[in-house]
Amino acid sequence: MENLLQQLVNGIAWGSIYALVALGYTMVYGVLRLINFAHGEVYMVGAMTGFYAAHAFGVADQPSALGLAATLVASMAACAVLGATIERVAYRPLRHAPRLAPLITAIGVSLLLQNAGQLVFGADPKFFPPLVASREAWRVGSLAVSNIQVTVLATALLLMAGLELVVMRTRVGRAMRAVAQDADAAALMGVPVDRIIQLTFVLGSALAGAAGILVGLSNPKIDPLMGLLPGLKAFVAAVLGGIGSIPGAMLGGLLLGIVETLVAGYLSSTYRDAIAFVVLIAILLYRPTGLFGSAQPEKV
Amino acid sequence: MRARTLAAVGASAFAFAILEWVLPRALNPYYLTILTRIGVAIVAAVSLQLVNGFTGQFSIGHAGFMAVGAYASAALSVYLGSEWLAALASVLPVPLARALYFPLPLLAGGALAGVAGLLVGIPTLRLRGDYLAIATLGFGEIIRIVILNVDAVGGARGFALTGQNGADLRYEDLGAIYAVVAISVAVIARLAYSSAGLAFRAVREDETAAAAIGVATTRVKVLAFVVSSFFAGVAGALFAHSEGYIHTNSFSFVRSFEIMVFVVLGGLGSITGAVIAATVLTAAPEGLRGFGEFRMILYALLLIAVMILRPQGLMGSRELSLGALRGWLRGRRAAA
Amino acid sequence: MPLLELAGVTLRFGGLAALGGLDWGVEAGAVAALIGPNGAGKTTAFNVVTGVYPPTLGQIRFDGREIGGEPPHRIAALGIARTFQNIRLFRALSALENVVAALVAAERPGFADVVRAPRWRARERELAARGRELLARLGLERYADARADALPYGEQRRLEIARALATGPRLLLLDEPAAGMNPAEKDALRELVARLRREFSLTIVLIDHDVRFVMGLCERITVLDHGEKIAEGGPEQVRSDPRVIEAYLGSPADPAAA
Repeated sequence: MENLLQQLVNGIAWGSIYALVALGYTMVYGVLRLINFAHGEVYMVGAMTGFYAAHAFGVADQPSALGLAATLVASMAACAVLGATIERVAYRPLRHAPRLAPLITAIGVSLLLQNAGQLVFGADPKFFPPLVASREAWRVGSLAVSNIQVTVLATALLLMAGLELVVMRTRVGRAMRAVAQDADAAALMGVPVDRIIQLTFVLGSALAGAAGILVGLSNPKIDPLMGLLPGLKAFVAAVLGGIGSIPGAMLGGLLLGIVETLVAGYLSSTYRDAIAFVVLIAILLYRPTGLFGSAQPEKV
Repeated sequence: MRARTLAAVGASAFAFAILEWVLPRALNPYYLTILTRIGVAIVAAVSLQLVNGFTGQFSIGHAGFMAVGAYASAALSVYLGSEWLAALASVLPVPLARALYFPLPLLAGGALAGVAGLLVGIPTLRLRGDYLAIATLGFGEIIRIVILNVDAVGGARGFALTGQNGADLRYEDLGAIYAVVAISVAVIARLAYSSAGLAFRAVREDETAAAAIGVATTRVKVLAFVVSSFFAGVAGALFAHSEGYIHTNSFSFVRSFEIMVFVVLGGLGSITGAVIAATVLTAAPEGLRGFGEFRMILYALLLIAVMILRPQGLMGSRELSLGALRGWLRGRRAAA
Repeated sequence: MPLLELAGVTLRFGGLAALGGLDWGVEAGAVAALIGPNGAGKTTAFNVVTGVYPPTLGQIRFDGREIGGEPPHRIAALGIARTFQNIRLFRALSALENVVAALVAAERPGFADVVRAPRWRARERELAARGRELLARLGLERYADARADALPYGEQRRLEIARALATGPRLLLLDEPAAGMNPAEKDALRELVARLRREFSLTIVLIDHDVRFVMGLCERITVLDHGEKIAEGGPEQVRSDPRVIEAYLGSPADPAAA
């Protein structure tokens, strides 16, 4: 029983990271109906930026709250800029092209970032600095929650709450929701659609950057190709929750993290990576709109 | 009509002779390997073109079917092939024995890949657009990971094409390989460009209208998918038997993307476009080897640039034929 | 027995009833019309008949045979063809290819197409000839090899009809065939419809907004509003029905002046 709880805790910690990345996918799909394949690479850049920033700020040797905060801010800012640049350069010119074109471009950007990353950061893995001491924060019997897990959860929850606030309680958030529903109507209502889309990318990428840091804390070995698989899995999480739905992405991420951890723990760890895809197929076959999505029937 | 057929047969025989007897003696093995890889890429690209370009179904799990073909054919050769080959070689001259044996693993790989295509296609082809793409991506990965866990075909160590009696089961006969390539391309082109084959493009253009005129759209999509995965399996089998060693790393979604790039850059709906793109983009990185790490970056930049500047790719949906070439030249001369 | 018969057909999307208890019959050889204000459910009725949506309730019978819930391609094979409100041609294909695709729709590509024996070649030639002949009967022969989306608007609508005819139907459903046409074109279309009924032994049902166009052409008119039938009969009967007038204009006035 305690083992189960431990697995759940681990699963929730991982799941919250998936959720942060999934949010970026779901928001971009909501406003552009585009699967931003490059999003996983933004997350990788977040981790890498965090590595270099921590060293540049001189906080890499010892854990400190300030060090963590500074690194987070640096990484989120860098990723926000990256996300906005990608949107401007690669996706905006194709706003009115057939659906296939931006999808392929997204794949191109993904490949570009992976390989540029290998060039710029070096292909060898690096070790993310221990900005949070790896200690037990909490223990109940044999159930242990580490400092790092608490940090991950707290940061993720804070960021998700912040996003929810922006999207539901601000004018800008309302504009985002309007563009997601009907971009043309929003434009007619005076919403600066291009700006809003850019903002969507900025927010989503910043969250991915934060996720990169959190992963660096949990799994210190980072390398330029680390974004591929987690990116795909986060995307599955977004689909699971209902692509386009923000609460869906959060829930989907958590669920996926839990399912993955449970399967790896109880069944087999070699098939761990396959689980996400099995979940994906299952959703697509039985409930393609996901948990919170709504069906969009085609008008004949 | 007869003169054209005669010319085609003559040209094919000539090409075969060059590939089979001249080039292997004239070029060093490195270039022969590239030619073989080009052949594999052509079959992979043209088979994907049937689904993506002609039927308009965006499938990005093609490497999974190549993996099925590669591993199935390799397993056949390793576990049974060496005996059959030995049996054949005892009554026939060795080159003939090998030539007679070779189609077997190819067909086995293709058949099993086709079955995989049927199993994947039936549930996923109900989905549209992005969802179909993701589903096929997912299946491609599942196939790869499952194969990775099968010890009998090497698992994480990879799988070498040596028979249990130590025999080398590789088949690098350029003439035979390109004969397979030519047959594959011809079959797909003939299916696509027939009156019944209009069904593929009808589904692509407007699925609702296609159904309204009596096209069984799901069955057509599944057919395209099965034929496409059959030939993907053949490409995989060609790859396995020419390389002599396979690992699931060669069949990840990166490979699926590469093949999709051939199809899109060549022009969705153009077989000649896919052939040209597969050839150029397989040969060029080899030529770009001097650029080192920049190679993949240039590749990615090329893809992005083409999508932004010329999304219809090289050929759009038209084919290159002698007639079209003549017409184009005439047009240029008239304009001059 | 009517060729096409709907009995109590209801179609619900979530909580909304697009069609409510529709009883409707079309006699063989008739030219009938389905009219009504926007959103009345006319295209939805076509969609239910052609299998795009299965009816939530009720039966649909074609020549006595129950067809409710059958998929569209099966209904096309049974002899019901249609055109669409927003033209749905195979735009990248030529006009001839659009028609030939309909001629062979019941077959699937196979070995014969790969092997290409003489018998295959003969059949291909025959299909092309039949396709051209059909195009010629609708005055489209010079567009045979042009891309479908390169045709002028009126010709595109005729091509869609040609494609529908290529399936050899007994019932032809035309959804707003006169949309976007000027009066001269509408007259030509009216003649075409009459000619089609004669030459192809068809039963034809039209949907259109132009009440006058419909009055001059159709023997029996059925009026829908909010998914329900509110009137039915000959042109004179329907024209003066107060419920029809109200549905279109919201207050007593003459729809013939529209």
